Amino acid sequence: MSRIVILGAGIAGHVAASHLRRKLPKEHEVVVVSPNSNYQWIPSNIWVGIGRMKPKDILFPLAPLYAKKHIDYKQAKAISFYPEGDAEEVKPYVLAEYVAGANKGTTEKVTYDYLINATGPKLNFEATEGLSPGKNKTHSVCTYTHADEAWNALNDLIQQMKQGKKAKILIGTGHAKATCQGAAFEYILNVEQELRRHKVRDMAQITWISNEYHLGDFGMDGMLMSYGSNIMKSSEMVEMIFEDRGISWILGAGVNKIEDGVAQYETLEGDYKTESYDFAMLIPSFSGHGFKAYNKDGEEITNKLFKGFMIVDADYTPKPYEEWSVQDWPETYQNPSYSNIFAPGIAFAPPHSISKPRKSKNGTDITPAPPRTGMPSGITAKLVADNIIEMIKHSNNELHHKGSMGNMGAACIASAGFGMTKGSGVSITTYPIVPDYNKYPDTQGRKLGKTFGTIGLAGHWLKLALHHAFIYKAKMKPFWWLIPE
Amino acid sequence: MTRRISKYKRFLMMNPIIQFFKFIYLSIKIMIVVAGGHGGTREIN
Repeated sequence: MSRIVILGAGIAGHVAASHLRRKLPKEHEVVVVSPNSNYQWIPSNIWVGIGRMKPKDILFPLAPLYAKKHIDYKQAKAISFYPEGDAEEVKPYVLAEYVAGANKGTTEKVTYDYLINATGPKLNFEATEGLSPGKNKTHSVCTYTHADEAWNALNDLIQQMKQGKKAKILIGTGHAKATCQGAAFEYILNVEQELRRHKVRDMAQITWISNEYHLGDFGMDGMLMSYGSNIMKSSEMVEMIFEDRGISWILGAGVNKIEDGVAQYETLEGDYKTESYDFAMLIPSFSGHGFKAYNKDGEEITNKLFKGFMIVDADYTPKPYEEWSVQDWPETYQNPSYSNIFAPGIAFAPPHSISKPRKSKNGTDITPAPPRTGMPSGITAKLVADNIIEMIKHSNNELHHKGSMGNMGAACIASAGFGMTKGSGVSITTYPIVPDYNKYPDTQGRKLGKTFGTIGLAGHWLKLALHHAFIYKAKMKPFWWLIPE
Repeated sequence: MTRRISKYKRFLMMNPIIQFFKFIYLSIKIMIVVAGGHGGTREIN
């Protein structure tokens, strides 16, 4: 009998748990440890942030589902890792602290045979002074509670605009090394459309602020894509959309301090500037959770497991941008020191950024961090689950399932406005996610045809269809596994 | 110079009948891209 412990119940953790449970006989234990009591479909937070969906539409409680599916669930947060056990416990374990229920505040040694770290990122608001959801007129859409608060604040501003107030809205990234530009891009377009719907668009000045060097970089170095019968850069497509919607932009901006209604930022030219606003949604930087790890003798071995995020089978050798290769990216998400530990989704440490790194004239890094959206999180979690299943069934350590972001496609269906007839979406697919400049030297490292973009009402329908399909899948309803990650 | 979305293009983008067929086309095309397999990059075939 094996015991597989999964830390986190986000997209990666939940995908891993559901596939493990479906494919493994019942004598093997699947245990999920997560401080969150709900599963949330994060891509739909955008619609909560404009009041077109309620939090209840994008989440469901985990405990009843896991009880029904024979998945052991502990509402607890991981504190520290003991991959060799300790003087008293021979099995490897994770020390976890319960955050709810009768055991709240107590700790437990959660032992495992295999560990999947799917803890995702820590939303590192502290890295930017004054950036905190609900304070200084800044908001976030990173969680459903943040998104709901953002909508309340935006709605208040819309009511004021209806009374004649002119407003400035600032949306983008809140740190020089933030990622998830795609979410901010969706939000700015949705906010713009909602202002039109409320007939106050002419009262608002909307500005995009980002650490990207070009529009449409998205932390992926931008892309050259098929667009209808044309070939277009993502920067041109986003510029076209922003021009069409009357949105201005500030690029190469490392936001470093937030005061009440004022964002301070440094530019790549080394200038220090400010931008005032009445409502802002700024994505924070992401970081690891600061977990510590100890060996059997109690000595700290954190650097064997973590490099901010968890160390996996990537090539972390420091080298200049010109020598970066798609082969640097991990394939199995297995920790090189402990073969029974894996980190799919956002929990693994990327070898480097995807976008070309840039520093300001003052030496500040202003570069988008690499994004890892829901789709690659799901794919990497499933392949980790499949590898663990084979390791258990065949009692060997060979890993046959591989999935590098340099050999994996991704779809980004970015909502550009909500509504069955008035909605819009920007549908972009990219193959591969990490550009392979050797394989596709003439098309900026990506395969044209599989890398394409399109804009229109169908994009909204598609995002809405995916919302319902993935919540159906996450609820593990009949034939859920037929829906791909 | 920035490209602009023409009135004709906007009509195509927002016409529900055209977009219904686009929805079917996009669903299939995206399925092909994202569910079309993945693998490693380090082995030379």
